[in-house]
Amino acid sequence: MKWLAHPWLAIRVQIALGVIFVAAALPKIVDPPSFAHMIYNYKLIPWALVNPMALVMPWIELLCGLALIFGIWKETSRTIIAALLAIFIIAISINLGRGNAIDCGCFDVSAAGKTTAERIADMRWAILRDLGMLLMVAQLWYAAMQERATGSSA
Amino acid sequence: MAVSPSMNWRRFFLEAATLIAAAILCALVANAFASRERKLAVVSHGVAAGASPAAVQPRAAAPTPVTRVPLPPPTATTVNRPPATKKPTTDNRQPTTQFNPHPDKPYIEIHGDDVHDLHTKGVLFLDARRTSVYEQGHIPGARPFSVWESDVDEKVNKLYAERSDPKDQNLPIVIYCSGGDCEDSHMLAQKLWGIQFNNIYVYKDGFPDWQKRGLPIHTGANP
Repeated sequence: MKWLAHPWLAIRVQIALGVIFVAAALPKIVDPPSFAHMIYNYKLIPWALVNPMALVMPWIELLCGLALIFGIWKETSRTIIAALLAIFIIAISINLGRGNAIDCGCFDVSAAGKTTAERIADMRWAILRDLGMLLMVAQLWYAAMQERATGSSA
Repeated sequence: MAVSPSMNWRRFFLEAATLIAAAILCALVANAFASRERKLAVVSHGVAAGASPAAVQPRAAAPTPVTRVPLPPPTATTVNRPPATKKPTTDNRQPTTQFNPHPDKPYIEIHGDDVHDLHTKGVLFLDARRTSVYEQGHIPGARPFSVWESDVDEKVNKLYAERSDPKDQNLPIVIYCSGGDCEDSHMLAQKLWGIQFNNIYVYKDGFPDWQKRGLPIHTGANP
């Protein structure tokens, strides 16, 4: 499993994850009211928190994404990103369980006018995609742990 | 949370706090410079509470929640009329006096025929969709009134100032959004009902239905 912790792979995973988060943040930063609408549709948080969350969360995504791309505060950024991914997975899963078909608002905040069945399919796909990204974070953790172990044994 | 065992927790919290503080700062600055349609009220206003113009005592909490009102049987709150095909000679439709004020309910859901009827009578229409969508096409005469944009309270206050007379507050208002599971029109209705507007109708099937019926559409920023 040495290849899994190889720096060649880790740096590419880190940059890819950073780019994904920057790409996800930009549409939300450009149009906060649409993102607020999508957060509201999840029906998980109190009304008073919808707007503050819609304003701040995309910037957290953007800054963490940029930090990963430029290799600054990598551990903190990937931990925050892992926490965000876990929150997204839980939020989408709860709504899937409720049968509440929503636009996930992950990469696009425009109302897509999809049918309920299309939205449900998209939500399942979004969970899979977020799980994939969590695996990317896990790879980064594993590589960092191996690097430390190698460093301390040297 | 699974953090690497050897991670320095103090450093982690310091960096995380810095990142979050920077995000908050960026968000506030970006929002301050955002255009009117893209600006968001930093503190979310409870739609059910109403806009609270200075001269108005907001109503107590609405008897029905902000969430979608399920369609009741054809008698109670939903005005159901026969299809428009029966229109020409045997007019089975009830007179418009049925659009009476209903202070006990925030809104009544109506459908296309009633909406068309009210539109021809010059009733005020409010478009609860985003302004950018409104500009692409809206019901002629409808005013842009997105509940998600920061100036919604300003618009509500202006409307209240125009219709401060109790008689005017009993005039019908039709609100619509995108139909389907769109709740924006219901939210706006709740907000207006909260400041004493007593005769609000929600066009349940919204703008897509209006389009489907081939009725006139106006584009641009003006009603």
